[in-house]
Amino acid sequence: MSIERVNATDRDESGGSNDIAGARGSDDAATDASDLDGQSLVLGYPSAPEPVIDGESIAAEPGAVTALVGPNGSGKSTLLKGLANQIAPDDGSVLLDGRDVHSMDTKALARKLGLLSQESTSPDSITVEELVYHGRYPHRGFFERTTEADARAVERAIDLAGCGHLRDREVGSLSGGQKQLAWIALVLAQDTDVLLLDEPTTFLDLHHQMEVMEIIETLRSDSEVTVVVVLHDLEQAARIADRVVALNDGEIRARGPPEEVVTEDLLSEVFRVDAHVVDTDRGPRVTPLRARHGE
Amino acid sequence: MSGDEPTAGGATGSVDYGDSARRPAEGGRLGWLFDPRLLLVAGGSVAVVALAGLVQVSFGTYSMTAAQAWRAVLDPAVLFDPRWLLNFLVGEELMRAITGFQGALPELTRETLVVWNIRLPRVLVGAIVGMNLAVSGAIFQAVTRNELASPFILGVSSGAGLMILLTLVVFGGLSAFLPLIAAVGGSVAFLLVYAIAWKNGTSPVRLVLAGVIVGTVFNSLQTGLFFFADDISVVQSAIQWTTGSLTGTDWEQVRMALPWTLVALVLSLAGARQLNLLLLGEQTAKALGMSIERVRFALSGVAVLAAAASIAVAGIVSFVGLIVPHVVRTLVGSDYKRVIVGCLFVGPALLVGADVGARLGMGVITGADAQVPVGIVTGLVGGPYFLYLMRRQQNVGDL
Repeated sequence: MSIERVNATDRDESGGSNDIAGARGSDDAATDASDLDGQSLVLGYPSAPEPVIDGESIAAEPGAVTALVGPNGSGKSTLLKGLANQIAPDDGSVLLDGRDVHSMDTKALARKLGLLSQESTSPDSITVEELVYHGRYPHRGFFERTTEADARAVERAIDLAGCGHLRDREVGSLSGGQKQLAWIALVLAQDTDVLLLDEPTTFLDLHHQMEVMEIIETLRSDSEVTVVVVLHDLEQAARIADRVVALNDGEIRARGPPEEVVTEDLLSEVFRVDAHVVDTDRGPRVTPLRARHGE
Repeated sequence: MSGDEPTAGGATGSVDYGDSARRPAEGGRLGWLFDPRLLLVAGGSVAVVALAGLVQVSFGTYSMTAAQAWRAVLDPAVLFDPRWLLNFLVGEELMRAITGFQGALPELTRETLVVWNIRLPRVLVGAIVGMNLAVSGAIFQAVTRNELASPFILGVSSGAGLMILLTLVVFGGLSAFLPLIAAVGGSVAFLLVYAIAWKNGTSPVRLVLAGVIVGTVFNSLQTGLFFFADDISVVQSAIQWTTGSLTGTDWEQVRMALPWTLVALVLSLAGARQLNLLLLGEQTAKALGMSIERVRFALSGVAVLAAAASIAVAGIVSFVGLIVPHVVRTLVGSDYKRVIVGCLFVGPALLVGADVGARLGMGVITGADAQVPVGIVTGLVGGPYFLYLMRRQQNVGDL
């Protein structure tokens, strides 16, 4: 696997789990933010004989944004679902502040860790506000009504997601981008320490992509929420993330700060394109030139 | 915090959250009930039930005018006499045990006796069955996320039907326990469906498919059993049970179904929030911390309980559980708290209304003194109404 050498800093890929949290980000890592740590994860689906992710470790830097990138089918969504306890790992474990997420009570976990899935469905006729209130589910007992704390969390989430003007609209009447903002408000209302976002910008127009990016940037500057986000767009990932983790074929091929991971070598090895990468003050700019054919 | 203000958090929903936090989604614990659409639906349904009920109690072998019937229903001799009320609701023995009353009950007029003894219980059973089926259907539509789900989608009707046939044809001696056997058969079939669908958990599609599998096999067995029925009256009785009928229902049936109905309805109202979350899809529900398998099984269990209670007193009435939730969603929106409450009203309206046709329709059309099973009428009314809904709306159920 020649690709292992792609990463110029030559991090220990073979088993080091805390390298991301440990090495470079420790200076600005907020101590009260939560720590999410996937250790030697083997993840797969019951329908497939081979696991998608076969023994990878990944640690999300507390209070920072970690971006998972990789080509289609590289296993980044699977890895995210594994971190979110949506898929039970065949082996390995995910630790949230030192506790195994699989053994945690589901509601207790949902109070600490939020996940925005790729496909979200809802009845067309509920309003954005009603949708966002569902984010408070893990905070409410079986018979409890919404409290003032719920109302405040919902307000903050709607405010942060910038969908205040949509709050009384029915979800069915919204555009794809507006819907995504509403769903982001839902996970924000969950008020978790860790937020996992699965391709939040895919299929959105430029304006809504930027809206979503700005929400993530706000979270990043607050440094209270640990964010792991799967992104399709390398430039977006480079721009928004403190750490980039590149996957291919279910293996982590590179990880580190954006400028070290997003390189011409990585693009050719992992994404199979020839590209120019220019460092700018907004992070690396990627200009894809042509697809590479054959191996 | 405003916890020290005496008015905060009251059921009025008038808590002030400042201008950044306008209001909680539900204004107070019961604020959502006072939704104008829901009130309209409830009022309209009550009117239908009252009207149909009045027709039911007026007409029959002993006919009386609407005014006479109305007076009989509201006869103070019954309404203000707890002994009579208890006598009807819990039975004579229990009434005597509760009140300690040992003498003969006061005399009632002939009209009152006919209405209260014979005709009113049928209306009540109709209302109970309608509620149960509608709520059960609403729950199953959310649990399976399938707009075509009915109380009978997970094998309940085929299990009950098979047991009915077995009892009538093979174990004739047990026919006294037929209601119970039918309800148990339905529940067992549901468990079987769940077991078949289970493979590291279930999914809506697996559940529905397993329901189809069990339904197909059981229905074949059921149809096969008809060949062994040597008596036309057995066949008629079987058909009455498997299409659903209120003929001959009495206070006995009210007493049998009411407790289970109350349990099922309270549980389904309590589960409304879980149902709402299920509508957001399995992934979201799981990500929000719902133990999805447990909730799904529990809610299905509640729905089966409601369906079983209705099967025990009226057999397998089709279509009510399928269309009523659709009608209610169209009228009050998709919030399941409102949907369930709406079903409590619209279900009885449809069933009691249809039973007018079942009991008196044949007499009007052919002049013969015959009744048809109410399930036939609900099918005849429900099918075209469903068609109308489908033509009128792009998204029929909005699930």
